[in-house]
Amino acid sequence: MTGRRADKAASTVFWILGITVVVILGFIIIEIFARGLLTALNPKFIFGKPEAIKGGGGVFPMIVSTLYLVALSLIISLPISIGAAIYLSEYAKKGRVTGFIRFCLDTLATLPSIVFGLFGLALFVVYFQWSYCLMAGAFTLAILNLPILLRGTEQAMNLVPDTYREASMSLGASKWTTIRQVVVPSAMPGIITATILPIGRIVGESAAIIYTTGLFIRNIPVNPFDTAAPLAGYVWYAQTEGQGDYLRVVTAGPRCC
Amino acid sequence: MRAIVTGDRDRWVKLVMFCCASVSFVGVLLIFLFIFRESLPAITKVGIPKLFLSTDWRPKSGHYGMLAFTFGTVFTTVVAMVIAAPLGIGAAVFIDQIAPEKVGKGVRRVIELLAGIPSVVIGWFALILLVPFIRSVTGSSGFGMLAASLVLVVMSLPTITTLSAESLRAVPVELKEASAAMGATRWQSIYKIMIPSAREGLIIAVILGMGRAIGETMAVQMVIGNASQATASLLQPGSTLTTRIVQDMGEASGVFRSALFAQALMLLLLSVFLIISIRLISRERKHA
Repeated sequence: MTGRRADKAASTVFWILGITVVVILGFIIIEIFARGLLTALNPKFIFGKPEAIKGGGGVFPMIVSTLYLVALSLIISLPISIGAAIYLSEYAKKGRVTGFIRFCLDTLATLPSIVFGLFGLALFVVYFQWSYCLMAGAFTLAILNLPILLRGTEQAMNLVPDTYREASMSLGASKWTTIRQVVVPSAMPGIITATILPIGRIVGESAAIIYTTGLFIRNIPVNPFDTAAPLAGYVWYAQTEGQGDYLRVVTAGPRCC
Repeated sequence: MRAIVTGDRDRWVKLVMFCCASVSFVGVLLIFLFIFRESLPAITKVGIPKLFLSTDWRPKSGHYGMLAFTFGTVFTTVVAMVIAAPLGIGAAVFIDQIAPEKVGKGVRRVIELLAGIPSVVIGWFALILLVPFIRSVTGSSGFGMLAASLVLVVMSLPTITTLSAESLRAVPVELKEASAAMGATRWQSIYKIMIPSAREGLIIAVILGMGRAIGETMAVQMVIGNASQATASLLQPGSTLTTRIVQDMGEASGVFRSALFAQALMLLLLSVFLIISIRLISRERKHA
């Protein structure tokens, strides 16, 4: 009898734990949406320029910065990830070398984003003398996103059935032709899905970009070597500067789902 | 003749792909190199004991001890894990073992959604709701280690829950079935069979959650109070390594700036330590 009673008690406890987690998370999500929604729908906020002195105003240059950064960073990291995934899933045999590459990827995946930020500052902004610009941020984020993007791409390629490869080889295609004509095209939908997570990280990342792309701009960035201010970093800047009615900026701010 | 040409091309292609794969290694190497290079002036001018092992942080008079912040990082992380580890693993057991399939899926969706919310937004949220709440309950300023730790709980929960649920799902069904066939109740199967067999996976989930907590910057900076003292009191304001870097980087130059890079080096070492312990645990699992 005690066994059954313990079972009931445990079930209740786990229901409570599960519900607690959902309530905490659900509360945060609903609260953010409820606070930000009205401001976010205001065209002056979305398409306006920020005020220079009294604070507030629109965030259009920041939205452009964020989208620009997403595009640039993916253009850099996607080819590298696809190449690396081809090597790991098609060419490499399991061994010391792949083990070491995976160790490096794991290390990159756990490094704090502020470390990436300072690294980007030291290498791209100062050493390469690019100054604060989109390009510096894009390269920094490309390295930061490499582990997630590579894992997704590799999974997509592993899902391509081996029979496809064998059929292509039996028709006389070389390995590279097989990869180019068969494996990559069949994995393409999966590869595109694999970019969703990194895009979310780029949009939400602040610590890695405030020292690489810049914090505040009034004009829309055009050149990749222009200073920019992606939303997430701007939200933090607005908070620390603490001027104007920035609550609106924040709650309507960066969000990736 | 043609076969030789394509074979040659294949070798070139393989080389190019290998270069892509080694970008990860080059990245790690460059990060170490440049963070170390920038922190070198502080290491040579201040000295390792006074830099890493002193709590005396007065940049204006040339004292750059970071121990108070290292302690802050470890302290907030430990407090956060004390709350988040049982909560996250419990929620994972709930998702995987107890909840009906649809409920479990729903819970998982909510958790994934939270993982996608940027840390600045969580920070703002804590600033306008959590800090005033702590202030009204305890009578302190509201800013401090407790607020920071609670933010870290929220930030690390998705990691811990998702990874724990995955490692519970990886336990062979036969084990659970055998346990049920022997007449064990659901709870007995969970704590005698499921949790012990998923043990290493659960530990790794918590360690990766710690990694998240150690590296979290913006959200913590907004609520921790940014005092430069070392404190083990939950209601006192303090700093972590990450928050001290963003707090001071804007105005730092020379040795001061280099000391902040040395703090980033410390963060680097902490996360490498976590990675190596994960490696050791998963190697143990393979041998067992």
